[in-house]
Amino acid sequence: VTRYLSLWLPSLATDRITRRNVEARRAPLATIAKVKSAQRLAAVNRAAARHGLKPGLALADARAILPGLACCAADEAAEAATLAAITDWCRCFTQLAALDAPDGAMLDVTGAAHLFGGEARLLGEIERRLATQGFAARAALAATPEAAWALARYAEVRLLPEDISEADLCHQLGALPLAALRLDEKTLAALAQTGLRRIGDLILRPRAPLAARFGQTLFHRLDALLGRARTPITPRFEVPPYLAERRFAEPIVQRETIEATILALAQELSHLLTRQGDGARQLDVSLFGVDGRVRHLRAGTSRPLRDPAVIARLFREKIEAAGNIDERDPLDAGFGFDVVRLSAEAVERQDEDQTNWLTPAAEQDLADLIDRLGARLGVRRVTRLRLADSHWPEFAVTAMSVSSSPPERHGRACPGHPRGAPAIIIADNELPARPIRLLQKPEPIEAVASVPDGPPVRFRWRRVLHEVAAIEGPERIASEWWRHQALTRDYFRAEDSEGRRFWLFREGLYETETMRPRWFMHGLFA
Amino acid sequence: MAGELLRLRQTLPHGSGAAGRLSLLRREIAGMAITGIAAAPHLASGDPRVRVSLGETRLDRLLAGGLATGALHEITAAGPGDAPAAAGFALALAARFAASRKAPLIWIGEDFAGLEQGALYGPGLTLYGLDPDALVLVHAANAKDALWAMEEALKCRAPAAVIGEIFSSKLYDLTASRRLVLAAQKHGTAGLLFLGGPARAETLSSSAETRFEIRARPSPHSASAGGRASLPGPAAFDVRIAKARAGPNGVFIDRDKFHPVLWSHREVLFRDALSLPLAAVAGDGSDHPPQRRSA
Repeated sequence: VTRYLSLWLPSLATDRITRRNVEARRAPLATIAKVKSAQRLAAVNRAAARHGLKPGLALADARAILPGLACCAADEAAEAATLAAITDWCRCFTQLAALDAPDGAMLDVTGAAHLFGGEARLLGEIERRLATQGFAARAALAATPEAAWALARYAEVRLLPEDISEADLCHQLGALPLAALRLDEKTLAALAQTGLRRIGDLILRPRAPLAARFGQTLFHRLDALLGRARTPITPRFEVPPYLAERRFAEPIVQRETIEATILALAQELSHLLTRQGDGARQLDVSLFGVDGRVRHLRAGTSRPLRDPAVIARLFREKIEAAGNIDERDPLDAGFGFDVVRLSAEAVERQDEDQTNWLTPAAEQDLADLIDRLGARLGVRRVTRLRLADSHWPEFAVTAMSVSSSPPERHGRACPGHPRGAPAIIIADNELPARPIRLLQKPEPIEAVASVPDGPPVRFRWRRVLHEVAAIEGPERIASEWWRHQALTRDYFRAEDSEGRRFWLFREGLYETETMRPRWFMHGLFA
Repeated sequence: MAGELLRLRQTLPHGSGAAGRLSLLRREIAGMAITGIAAAPHLASGDPRVRVSLGETRLDRLLAGGLATGALHEITAAGPGDAPAAAGFALALAARFAASRKAPLIWIGEDFAGLEQGALYGPGLTLYGLDPDALVLVHAANAKDALWAMEEALKCRAPAAVIGEIFSSKLYDLTASRRLVLAAQKHGTAGLLFLGGPARAETLSSSAETRFEIRARPSPHSASAGGRASLPGPAAFDVRIAKARAGPNGVFIDRDKFHPVLWSHREVLFRDALSLPLAAVAGDGSDHPPQRRSA
């Protein structure tokens, strides 16, 4: 048995503008958009509709009917964002909330209604709370998404009970106009011409002739509506494997309270994780605001984690980082939050006692530090170097985010021996052939060489002239043609008269690749 | 090391003269400094902290055996062109700390410094004596974040050393340094602060234990075949100890003197640039000059 709740926001576009202003809600308001070089109404609010204004009317005509009409430019992107925010907020009722563009949301409330005192109460609650946020809304509940959608928009009845009989269902839905099947305008007009107006007109009619004329979609929709075929919904967010939440009768505002709540939730979550032998790799705290805004705090971890104190500390850093932007109210609490939810979005197997026995305390300490730094500065800012098998200097190493992958543990070699660098072959007694620092991009330099394909005698880099006192090279590195196209580089290790050591190269082989090789500075030695 | 020293003194024969005894001791210390890494509490100055020797005898003597863990050490460049050398010196010190404990290093760099001086380059670090696998890089957007991250990292006992690179020293004042020092002292982690920007050793005021000023030094060149330009040698520095808090009793530190040292990436230690130039150039550490390269 599935239960779907469809939410319809008939005046989303105008409510978005007037939601914070109760007075303005009563005055006629319309959004306008340019259609074929004429300004036309895109959406109207209830007050404007009462005067007979409809979407699609030219602005000049609308002004003639109602001179005091207030107008705003329609903003599709902002409307979509508002709808997405509302859908996100709906997740405080159920995890499975899907966007139902352009003016609604679809929630899978299977097994969730009893938490709100039954289905009828849930409908009332959701409408009431949206009304306090300034949105007119209509909600309906049925066994299929299509039926719920049709009820929300076209029916008096808002709830089809679970144990409804087949005959009753056909009777209830049969009374609805064909538009409730979500057909396009053209099909609807064509059907109207044949004298078919209500869904009941279709149910008992032979299908083949109609399908031949109007396409199979018609009956697909009908079957879905009556529950004879299943259509899935696409929730905006995946259901996290573990979650813990708290609901408050009075919204909470203070940061200390929120942090304490997160700690309490972390303890609950830790219990759940321990019981299943899992550890969290990705954590999310959702703070559902009374005003409909949802604030998300996300934290990734570098290894499976279930220690509540550490989880709470991660989010404390997150809040601290947000505090850098606005010191007084880091979470932008507004009127407060009434639901706080902590979920583990990604988990990994974590064997029992690993924290106590197998990993040394130091390693644990380091992982905690990395997570804390990542939470405050951003996960991408904490990296490890991973050497790659490539001769091309830029590709020989990549910086990997520490949290994105567990560190590979392989036996440590003695420092000084190039274990991880297969691309650089050096004899034991040779000097480092690679610089300790590589410039982000090779920087062009002016270099003077005695012969076009010889080593430089002096060069100018960042406006300083350097006389070459000692030089080693060239080390010729050709581009990896299967990866990218570039000229061959001749690298030199140069030391200037003051003892500074540089890694520079000449781009292009003289006479074969180019007649005017250019010089670049690429790295610095100690 | 001092413990061994005492033991050594007891086992010395009494008959030999003072000068002979001294030279014997000197040789012993030099041997220890080069082969081993001091890990014993420093008894002589009553300092219980572990000191990590640099490997170079004269610097170690001036620093009472080496650099203390649980303290903050600063590295500055002598001039605008010496920043790469100073970075190399900071990395070399970090490599010494890493070798003493087999623990990871944390390098915290300000974004601007990376733009100016380039990012740490993994293959080069491997060849310089550092293990890139044991290195965690933290990229801080500004000096404030970098100092915060450094303090957090110093509160962790796991890393062998925490190296912070900040470009603008505006935010780094007495208070900021005090915070770092306290964190390092409390948790026994070594902090190295590398000021790669325009800050000079004389203009800083901080509560760091040691401050080095680094100047690039021409490396011992070796001749190339065919009479062409000579080849550059290993990393070489001129090191000036601009500040040393815990100077041992009786050792005078000439704060204006530059000590020439070489970094031996293969042995992961510093060597005197004047007395052992050949040994350092010959990668195997022997006293034989390196073989001529064939053209």
